[in-house]
Amino acid sequence: MPTIEDLHRGTASAVAAPTNVTTPAPRRAFTPRKKKKPWKSWSLFLLFAGPNVALLIVFTYKPLLQSLYYSTLQWNLGSASAIPVGLGNYVTWFNDPGTARVVTVTLIFTVATVGGGMVIGLLFAVLLNRKLHGRGAARTVIVAPYVLSGVAVGLLWLFVFDPNFGITAALLDAIGVASPPWYNDPQWALVMVIIVYLWKNVGYVALIYLAALQSVPRDLLEAASLDGATPVRAFRNIVLPLLGPTTFFLSITTLLSSLQSFDIIQAMTKGGPLEGTTTMMYQIYQEGFQAGRAGYSSAVATILFAVLLVVTLIQMKYVEKRVHY
Amino acid sequence: MNTTPSFTINRRQILKLAAVFGATATLAACSGPSLGAGAGAADVAVMDWTGITPAKEITWWSNHPGTSKLIEEEIIKRFHAENPNITVNLVTAGANYDEIAQKFQAASGTNSVPDLVLASDVWWFRYMINGQILPIDDLARHLEIDTADFNKTLYDDYTFTGNHWAIPYARSTPLFYYNKDVWAKAGLPDRAPKTWTEFDEWAPKIQADGGVTPLGLGKGASWAAWWFCNMLWGQGGAYSDEWTMTLDTPEAIAAADYLQSLIYDKKVATVAAVDQVADFGAGLTGCIMGSTGSLTGILEAATFEVGTGFLPEGPEGQACPTGGTGIAIAADRTPEQQLAAGMFLKFLTNSENTAYFSSNTGYMPVRTSARDGETMTKVYAEFPQFRTAVDQLETTRSQDWGRVFVPNADKELTTALEKIMLQQTDPAEAFAVASTAIATSFDENVSPYL
Repeated sequence: MPTIEDLHRGTASAVAAPTNVTTPAPRRAFTPRKKKKPWKSWSLFLLFAGPNVALLIVFTYKPLLQSLYYSTLQWNLGSASAIPVGLGNYVTWFNDPGTARVVTVTLIFTVATVGGGMVIGLLFAVLLNRKLHGRGAARTVIVAPYVLSGVAVGLLWLFVFDPNFGITAALLDAIGVASPPWYNDPQWALVMVIIVYLWKNVGYVALIYLAALQSVPRDLLEAASLDGATPVRAFRNIVLPLLGPTTFFLSITTLLSSLQSFDIIQAMTKGGPLEGTTTMMYQIYQEGFQAGRAGYSSAVATILFAVLLVVTLIQMKYVEKRVHY
Repeated sequence: MNTTPSFTINRRQILKLAAVFGATATLAACSGPSLGAGAGAADVAVMDWTGITPAKEITWWSNHPGTSKLIEEEIIKRFHAENPNITVNLVTAGANYDEIAQKFQAASGTNSVPDLVLASDVWWFRYMINGQILPIDDLARHLEIDTADFNKTLYDDYTFTGNHWAIPYARSTPLFYYNKDVWAKAGLPDRAPKTWTEFDEWAPKIQADGGVTPLGLGKGASWAAWWFCNMLWGQGGAYSDEWTMTLDTPEAIAAADYLQSLIYDKKVATVAAVDQVADFGAGLTGCIMGSTGSLTGILEAATFEVGTGFLPEGPEGQACPTGGTGIAIAADRTPEQQLAAGMFLKFLTNSENTAYFSSNTGYMPVRTSARDGETMTKVYAEFPQFRTAVDQLETTRSQDWGRVFVPNADKELTTALEKIMLQQTDPAEAFAVASTAIATSFDENVSPYL
């Protein structure tokens, strides 16, 4: 039987260290507070984290694993049965003559949108960080496209680039240049969707960079200028290193969203002409829902997932070490 | 200052992650298709419908082709008046046939499957080999649907292994549209060229005036490989003979050579950047091959008088494919629901409603009795262009299996035609790539299910 002292000690220890609840015997019956506390923290945990965890499991992890499983099947979307093919879908993808093109298009699109987006976004941020007339309006204008729907943006630019009736054609015509065949040449079509993607998403990069720029301590810059550093030098040696964590964060988020980009391509080119704008992401849609090859499409999705995972891990492991705080 | 926590994972976290994944993997394995050989089409065993009472409520998935939502609602209203015991729920299940198909296939195996679904020419076959739709013949006999009155080509489009798998609904064909002003300026007779040879003679006259490209061509999926049937069949070629690709025949190559020569040698045709119908409407091109489904839109948008005619003939004569959508009954529903769905289908496609639908949308009247009836006769009087489309119907033929029945086939053919039209690729080379890809797709995605 526990003594009163034991009970007191037990209560005291439960208050001091609530995690120590599994220690056995003496503290079971007469200590409601002891039991109540862990239950309460568990219920609190469930209350706050539960819905999120449940949603994550149902809508992220389960589909992820399911897609991994489907990638081993030869399965027509809609069919009640499927044929297991092991790694057959992966072998097909790697041997398909079109794969090289899809990978090239994906690479060009990603490098151009991530690299271009970061550079242009930083330029805008630096510009908007200065005391200029109409700065507030300019900020709004630059950030606004980011909050628009991708399909709406795509449809809008469809007209802008129209080689017969579009604004680009009219502008180029004014300086005596013929409009490039945006829609009939695979290379130009890719350039076109990259431009539209940048236009839509550069505001996001600018916004994040702008916030980071505003947290750069002024005293550092003042000290540098007293020491005779030119503004360019101060930017290169002080501001850029201080933006390191932001650049790191942006490199991951923009890379992920670029590799998953779908809406603009769907609205403007549908992956064409000649599949010149078919990225891996678009291929997943096309194979899964247009061709109904659910297994094959899952295999492409798994490959894309693996690529994203590896790239992100590399970024975290190597790039982060170079980031100056 | 900014600080970011460094990225480290300890053993415990890895174990937790593994546990979450493990648990979800167990969940994941609980769903999905059953394993084994392909299931194939739904059972065609004869069913005794006589003892079955129709269900009280059915659902119909449509994209309202030709902005026909109000028309479809009106027909449902008329059906409710005659059959107060059956409620039909009309659901907008997509903006086009592809979206409907995506949803219908994704819904397979769940209880969200509709009773009636639009089944377009390139989708019904896949519904069938997936076992998602019911063969119509038996039910049609029981309900005494007058199938002999359907236009034969349009009804037989849905035939495979001796059964019909859908009933024609919003059906269209390509049609030759020309700008009458341009024709008059060029001193051409007010009609479409009878043959492509005649078009070749006319094209320089159209061009002489300057500014107008004689012929506008469309690219893109679900489109280029459709109108190209005209040139291909006109030369005596085909995409395929049943499941065997025949794009390597001299006739098929000749058709593609001809298409290429229009663009690069004679320079009388241009490939539209976005929409060849819009370019034609704006007066950039003198004529196009467009869908009959675009008729109403073209007549409304054009600032000039629009003429219509049959697609020009090739050396082997008249060649025109059919297109558009039919309606199918889902296999995965109770016989009561299927019976009610069949009753509504019978009503929807009866002579009166066919004429009502056609006259309001511009789609073909799929029934002979509707085509010759009073309603349509009035329409022809008002829009003589419509009559052309209906007359041309007699010359149409069903599409090649190698385009419409094999997953990805249309995409492969579109890519080949785009290479031929946009990059001047050698047709034999472009067709060979497409044929190989389509044959592979057939082996993987169709053959195991037949």
